[in-house]
Amino acid sequence: MSFLRFAARRLAEMAATLFGASFVIFGAMYLAPGNPASFLLSGRSASPEALKAINAQYHLDDPFVLQYLRWTGQILHGDFGRSITYRTDVSRLLADRLPSTLLLVAMALVLVVTLGLLLGWIGAVRGGAADSTILVSTTFALGTPSFVAAVLLQGLFAVKLGWFPTGGTGDGLGQMIWHLTLPAVALALYLIGMLARVTRAAMLEVLGQEHVTVARSRGVSDHRVISRHVFRNALGTVLTTGGLIVSTLLVCTVLVESAFSVGGIGQLLELSTTTKDFPTVQAISLIMVGLFMTVNLVVDLLHPLVDPRVTLGPRRSAA
Amino acid sequence: MADPQDGSRSRSSHRRPALPLAALAALALVAACAGPPKSGDTGGGSSYQLSQDTPAAKGDIDSFSWALYAEPPTLDWIAAFDYPQNTILSNVCESLMRWTPQLTLAPGLAEKASNPDPTTWVYDLRPGVHFHDGSVLTADDVVYSLGRQLNPDNAAAWAQQFQNVSTVIRTGPLQVTVKLIQPDSQFNQYMATAAGVVAAKAGVQAAGKDYGTTGSLDCTGPFELGAWNKGQSLELRRFDSYWGTKAKAAKAEFRFLTDPSARVNAMITGEADGGYLIPTESYERLRSSGAGSLYFGEGLSTVNVNVTNMSGVLGDARVRKALSLALDRSGFVKAGLGGAGTVTGSLTTRAAWAAAPEATRKDAFEGLTPTTPDLARAKALIKEAGAAGKTVTVATSPIGQDVSLLATAVQAAGTGIGLDVQLKTIAPNAFTSLFTSAEAREGIDMFPETYYDSITDPLDLLANFKTGAFQNYAGFSDPAYDDLVKKATTTADPAERFAIEAQLQKIASDELLWIPVAEWPTAVFMNKRITGAPTTISYMYYPWAADVGAAR
Repeated sequence: MSFLRFAARRLAEMAATLFGASFVIFGAMYLAPGNPASFLLSGRSASPEALKAINAQYHLDDPFVLQYLRWTGQILHGDFGRSITYRTDVSRLLADRLPSTLLLVAMALVLVVTLGLLLGWIGAVRGGAADSTILVSTTFALGTPSFVAAVLLQGLFAVKLGWFPTGGTGDGLGQMIWHLTLPAVALALYLIGMLARVTRAAMLEVLGQEHVTVARSRGVSDHRVISRHVFRNALGTVLTTGGLIVSTLLVCTVLVESAFSVGGIGQLLELSTTTKDFPTVQAISLIMVGLFMTVNLVVDLLHPLVDPRVTLGPRRSAA
Repeated sequence: MADPQDGSRSRSSHRRPALPLAALAALALVAACAGPPKSGDTGGGSSYQLSQDTPAAKGDIDSFSWALYAEPPTLDWIAAFDYPQNTILSNVCESLMRWTPQLTLAPGLAEKASNPDPTTWVYDLRPGVHFHDGSVLTADDVVYSLGRQLNPDNAAAWAQQFQNVSTVIRTGPLQVTVKLIQPDSQFNQYMATAAGVVAAKAGVQAAGKDYGTTGSLDCTGPFELGAWNKGQSLELRRFDSYWGTKAKAAKAEFRFLTDPSARVNAMITGEADGGYLIPTESYERLRSSGAGSLYFGEGLSTVNVNVTNMSGVLGDARVRKALSLALDRSGFVKAGLGGAGTVTGSLTTRAAWAAAPEATRKDAFEGLTPTTPDLARAKALIKEAGAAGKTVTVATSPIGQDVSLLATAVQAAGTGIGLDVQLKTIAPNAFTSLFTSAEAREGIDMFPETYYDSITDPLDLLANFKTGAFQNYAGFSDPAYDDLVKKATTTADPAERFAIEAQLQKIASDELLWIPVAEWPTAVFMNKRITGAPTTISYMYYPWAADVGAAR
């Protein structure tokens, strides 16, 4: 299968999955109790006319299928609708908040990949005390949920030592990076532990394999064996977890953003769910699913480059 | 969530190492971020004192920053019905009347409000008042602004307050006359809230559907809207052409800090100079931090347990009374409100009656629900009602310790007198829906709620028990009560009205549709740099930030 055909096929699959996901997302909001109109009125006595006006404005009285079709139709035109609570276009809400979240996830991702691989490498190759230290610290990292990490980091580095701000995002890239460091560490900690463990295990497994022993017996240098054979093999493993790492980051960003008051889309999702702001929740969910699938696609496309043994498509004969 | 094994068919040679990994990763999604931590700190039972204000500012400052627990979705005044939006909006947009820090009614943009006959209100506007865009306030702006609340298409938050309005017309370049369908003693009082805000017609029209979410608010207040960094912060700038006393701070920055502990941390580290609505569990931490001072003021708020189901065992007034008699109110105040609160048997706060004649106020607070536990009597009542062993379901939520500890207190009270009290834990977002959705209240007999008045009049709360009222969760209906509500609404004379309201308070108290528990003051923290903010709930509609200045 040619690369282009493979990519096209995966894109088509992605579109179909997104379509399915959109239905599930849209339907899910209707199953939960409560009506957005009543949230908008937040406990106040509402005249029947006011309720009617809200329902009409947001088409809340229309049959489910009609609402769904209208929504998907709008999205295809790049219109995510109008937020009920924020009384503004959802696309604008997202444009305001997406940069913080993307930067936060990107920073966490860099931490996860560099530290995770490095610690895994050191643990596998060095062994001994270094390995034990890494095992203990990764156990700690794996046992620390992001919200606990958030509280600990905030208490120590923001309140006690005053090195970082307690929350918020700040203006300008430099300020943003400074503000997002603690949240990124809180977000990354668990995954660093996980990736270090996985890398270590994968490298140890390859280290014990025949071809490594053969290479070594042929006099290939240790460094070369590890970087060429062992680490590259482990890298493939890391790549297969890429989608999972990113999706974990996206899911956990909701809590970390709340803990550090980072006004990203994670926090927006939490607030919009609380107020049953249908258009906003649906848009964010769909974007999260889309991001997750994009990462998966990129991983699939990159994989053959890292590991030549991996082929595109289900069978070689299909090419 | 997508299948973690997605795409594995294309790399069958790598399936083995992927398997434990998938398990690990699946675990990651669950374990890496389970629910947020909830403070288990029950706080010390510290004493507190109410004060009307904080030391006056000694001078001007460049800026101060203020912590808010949430970002306002919009600052359009017709949608301003919650703490975050009102805390900001009160400094930018002004109303016809003004609520003072002492919670009394004073002239605002109208320098005179007269009531020539029971169904007419005439507002004479202050001359020479400038909007933030420089234009001058006219009667047309008032007609337009009130008109937005009246238009059903706008689904205004304050529509209910305009239910008796028939027309709003200009009767002079600086005079507006409001005609009512029937007398409404509350209408003019609500003109001090966001219901009475006046903005420039031209500005609002030009902003169109984006009004309130971007650009200027085109109002007259001591501050104008500056940069709004969505999701993060919002800046107010001093308005130099303000008609009244100019703001002491050139800039006020509001920071949206949704997490309670992050908010308190920001105040301790000085990232935020102060804030209202301090989490009750943090009172001690803020006090002992030495970073600044914590003040308490009148909040016009009461904490209650609302009865939502009269078809169950709570339909018997004796059972409601027994529960109330068994409730450890002072224990709740200590633990749930961080010691800052007053046990009460009244649904309305004492301050809501501030303008009432002394005799009426005494009358209103006489013979109310007893607040000292009387278990013997409570047990007797349960026996009499034949309710022993019957089940009562109370909703609780990790939304805040005032809610969860009150629910636990009700359970303890019920268990102590032979009721089977079940706690039903509800996620914070679903808990909020209890207030608005009958569906969400199904299977629940009662839940804790804190209620605050938007005006200094007990009727604001007492009208909730009128037949068909939105918050009349129990479906209480008593024609005599309805008549009294109507009478209070149509009685202009305050003394006469308060007397009727005292009667309403008696009935509501006897019925125990909401079990009153405590008065809850507002709290405000300011660090050593700033001072001047009022302590009372007036900050919802009074331009409080203009009073904030240098502490030294």
